[in-house]
Amino acid sequence: MALRILKTLRPVAHPLATTLAGGQRQEFIHTTPACCEIRKLARLRVVDNSDLGKRAMAEGRPPRCIHVYNKRGVGLIGDKVLVAIKGQMKKGILVGLKQNQKPKQPKFDSNNLVLIDDNGSPLGTRIHVPIPTILRTILKEKTLAKGADYTKVLAIASRYV
Amino acid sequence: MNLSTRVMLNRLAPQCAYKRIVTFSTKTAEHAVENQEESKKGVAPAPTPSSPAPVTRKPIIPANYRFVYPEFLPDPKVEWRNPIREKLERLDMLERRKQIDLPEFYVGSVLAVTSSDPHAAGKTSRFVGICINRDRCGLRARFVLRNVIDHQGMEVVYELYDPTIQKVEVLRLEKRLDDSLFYLRDALPEYSTFDENMEAEPLEEGASVPVNDIKVVLRPRPWLERWERQNLRGVANIDEYLKDKHRLSAAKVQKPWEKYDMMKDYRSSIPEEEQTEIFAEVHTDLHTLELQRKRNKRKRTFVKPKQLA
Amino acid sequence: MNQADVTKLMSQLRIAVRPNKRNLKNADGPEGRLLKLRKTVTALVKHERIELFYNRADEARGYAELLISNAIRHGDRHKATMELADYWLLEKQLVHKLFRVLVPRYENYSVSYTRMYKAPRDYPGIYYRQSVLELRGNPYPSLLTDHSQNRSLLHNVLLDEARKEFRRQKLPELVI
Repeated sequence: MALRILKTLRPVAHPLATTLAGGQRQEFIHTTPACCEIRKLARLRVVDNSDLGKRAMAEGRPPRCIHVYNKRGVGLIGDKVLVAIKGQMKKGILVGLKQNQKPKQPKFDSNNLVLIDDNGSPLGTRIHVPIPTILRTILKEKTLAKGADYTKVLAIASRYV
Repeated sequence: MNLSTRVMLNRLAPQCAYKRIVTFSTKTAEHAVENQEESKKGVAPAPTPSSPAPVTRKPIIPANYRFVYPEFLPDPKVEWRNPIREKLERLDMLERRKQIDLPEFYVGSVLAVTSSDPHAAGKTSRFVGICINRDRCGLRARFVLRNVIDHQGMEVVYELYDPTIQKVEVLRLEKRLDDSLFYLRDALPEYSTFDENMEAEPLEEGASVPVNDIKVVLRPRPWLERWERQNLRGVANIDEYLKDKHRLSAAKVQKPWEKYDMMKDYRSSIPEEEQTEIFAEVHTDLHTLELQRKRNKRKRTFVKPKQLA
Repeated sequence: MNQADVTKLMSQLRIAVRPNKRNLKNADGPEGRLLKLRKTVTALVKHERIELFYNRADEARGYAELLISNAIRHGDRHKATMELADYWLLEKQLVHKLFRVLVPRYENYSVSYTRMYKAPRDYPGIYYRQSVLELRGNPYPSLLTDHSQNRSLLHNVLLDEARKEFRRQKLPELVI
């Protein structure tokens, strides 16, 4: 898919640009259909009852992802991400994605996040939305691989889907 | 395969794809596929048997089979058609249907799907939701269920012939005004909320599937899709959130001539003769399964005698 | 396009149908293309034999066949078919011709309703592929040469000799 941009300012020699009849230049930049991926600067919704999360969501300044702890820059279910929330940096676990999932895995209407600290213990005490069951396996594997205990997030979950 | 054979096959492939796959005889329709059109001319002749071959008992396929079992019809795209693969898929689909009861449902019905989940505590997980879309064909047929649980909207895609699905129950069998209900994502959450423990609402036997003509109220913009361009019938307040620019750009994009484009409809559908042939193949097995399902239903409604103290 | 559309039921076309439509370059876009094809289909129904360029003939052939098969299937009291006929046949007399003449003619046909031939191409000049598109059962003389009576072809040579041989055998019986 290509998005056409019309420019009427100072013409700059650009290999992809063509000049239209009215002296305007059109350039094409590559675009993709909306992917709903969690990358840097993606806004997330905090779903636990931590004080920080609740205040940030109430103010209308949701946390923004600034790093995905992943080989690819795209966050998937169960990935740890670094978010900027109320002027501070916090880590979190993605517990629900708007991205299209594989069959049998639930797709949520919002990108959900649970805030954790460096040891993997969550800041809140309860998660008020349902969580996909595959998190059980993913977080257990992550706990074994890394050093922090991510399964504490599972303990505060109220409901699985 | 060496390069020259591959090149030759690639050049032959589009030529072979041009002829519509004809798997039936070009004789006029002999048996009556129940014609629901009462407006047919009286002068129109009854289907005349063009071949004098004696037929002892031909299965009369119910007219609604193409709605109840749409996944048995193959993908209309000619380049992807393969009669042998389709036949094998149909056999596999029948085999699967013998193991599990896949009921009749439409977009807008409320379903409960129990599937085996290795990650869940009890190794099974049950999801209740409204079917918002039915997609694909053959063994890849899928449907999407949507529900709002704890104020969180979620959707799950299930493949109909997935062997890990243990049970599919239809809690409410009904149709809606549109073929896909993706606009529920932008509607108020009450239209997508269904109780986890809701009970099945049975329909009388032989009754036609009711059409729920509910008109959904949408949330204010921004929306996930441009609903104003899709000519939806099940949405109430779409005009409320439209500005003139939306109306104008929607009007510009409309293609009113597509209604009359018969070849487009033809290429995106399977012709009647082929449908009849396909359903004739699978009719006996499907009919047996339907009878079995009715028998089981009757057995379930049989009230067990209460144990007196 | 991964699920067959079951809302409309159409008969199988008994002609070779390309998997993709031809866009038929037109200044008015898809609407102009359909207008051009409507004119072609109208002309076909009016004159029953027309000569035109191959690509447009092939596209119009599909629409003509579908129009006739829908008319046969639903008859002339069906609203959607009437609207289709009204859209595709620009001269309204031809709608009557479709339902009163063509439908009875083609009701019991088990072959296609149209025939398409390749016509000689204009060289040098506009070298596009030419074709002749006609409805079957038209009143004009056939375009295909009838070889069945050509005495020089092998089948007739053999049959003639066989007849002569038979008469030679019969002759003694007749004389006696």
